[in-house]
Amino acid sequence: MRTHSVEIAGVHRELPVVQVGLEVSVALFNMLGDTQVVEAAAVALAQAMPADIETLVTPEVKAVPLAHALSRVSGKPYVVARKTEKPYMISPVSRTVISITTGKPQLLVLDGTDITLIKGKKVAIVDDVVSTGSTLKGLSELIEEVGGVVGAVMAVFTEGSPRQDVLALGHLPLFKPE
Amino acid sequence: METYPITVGKITRHLPVVETLPGVHIPLVELMGDVELVQAAAEALVKHLPLETDVILTLETSPIVLAHTLSALSGKPYIVVRRKRRPYMQDPIIQEVESLTLGVSETLWLDSRMAEKLLGQKVALVFDVVSSGGTMNALEKVAKKAGATVVARLAAFHQGNSKLPITSLTEIPILQSA
Repeated sequence: MRTHSVEIAGVHRELPVVQVGLEVSVALFNMLGDTQVVEAAAVALAQAMPADIETLVTPEVKAVPLAHALSRVSGKPYVVARKTEKPYMISPVSRTVISITTGKPQLLVLDGTDITLIKGKKVAIVDDVVSTGSTLKGLSELIEEVGGVVGAVMAVFTEGSPRQDVLALGHLPLFKPE
Repeated sequence: METYPITVGKITRHLPVVETLPGVHIPLVELMGDVELVQAAAEALVKHLPLETDVILTLETSPIVLAHTLSALSGKPYIVVRRKRRPYMQDPIIQEVESLTLGVSETLWLDSRMAEKLLGQKVALVFDVVSSGGTMNALEKVAKKAGATVVARLAAFHQGNSKLPITSLTEIPILQSA
């Protein structure tokens, strides 16, 4: 199997390179279930986080353990933007983005009860991988719509083109399928 | 808003009570976003995690943070079964959930690369809330299809049917209309 070596806050991993389109393969980074990587990344990102951040916001699903661990390490609360509206949500606010991994429209939803943690606050967006930034853009707009200010974007990896607007621990290139 | 108190370890939360079906009111617990509650639940549940456990098995979304914390406390890895097919999945295990409570069909997905890690392993299933047991049964079937043996079923909370073979910390009642 083709793999790509990475170092995440001192932890070594071999990521499988998998084809996701006709012309492109990606190094598959899945933090779900990798407690060691999540904990190491959370400590490193907590150190890099601007001091004035008040709340963390993460899109479900893969970055949820990272946001949880970063919240525990930094003491800042976190909010999960869901992919579906739940029947129990009170006055939810949502926005549709086009997902790069699936090519389909993807809803991002904030529960109204979480908005007090965002409104008038400086927010850091936390994600596992920032690639095209479509999720990031949608989530930023959603945060601003409810009165929050995006003070930082934090990720374990950027992917594709390097980005200056993301505090990341590493970068993943795109690959040509073999 | 009506609330219902629950206590896990030293943490007490006043859960919002929501009407899920006409006349049926349920205290709504959400582990995501609540680092203290997750920590308390994981510290209590880890005592019930059999020493022989090789892998913790959970499913998205809310129980992920509990599984992550149990993994961090116990040193045992965890695997997350998905509720949607992901583009990178190869030859996944597919399992329908028979849910009587919602009457909505649902499907669980586990990529073959994750399933391989369960072969011949002893697994503990981890949930946030177990209600009818439909989801639990489906997750158990996923484990068996992957060639694993279920040695424990752990839940932070259970709701309603207490005859299920689970270890749970606290009961969340189903409240009838006042």
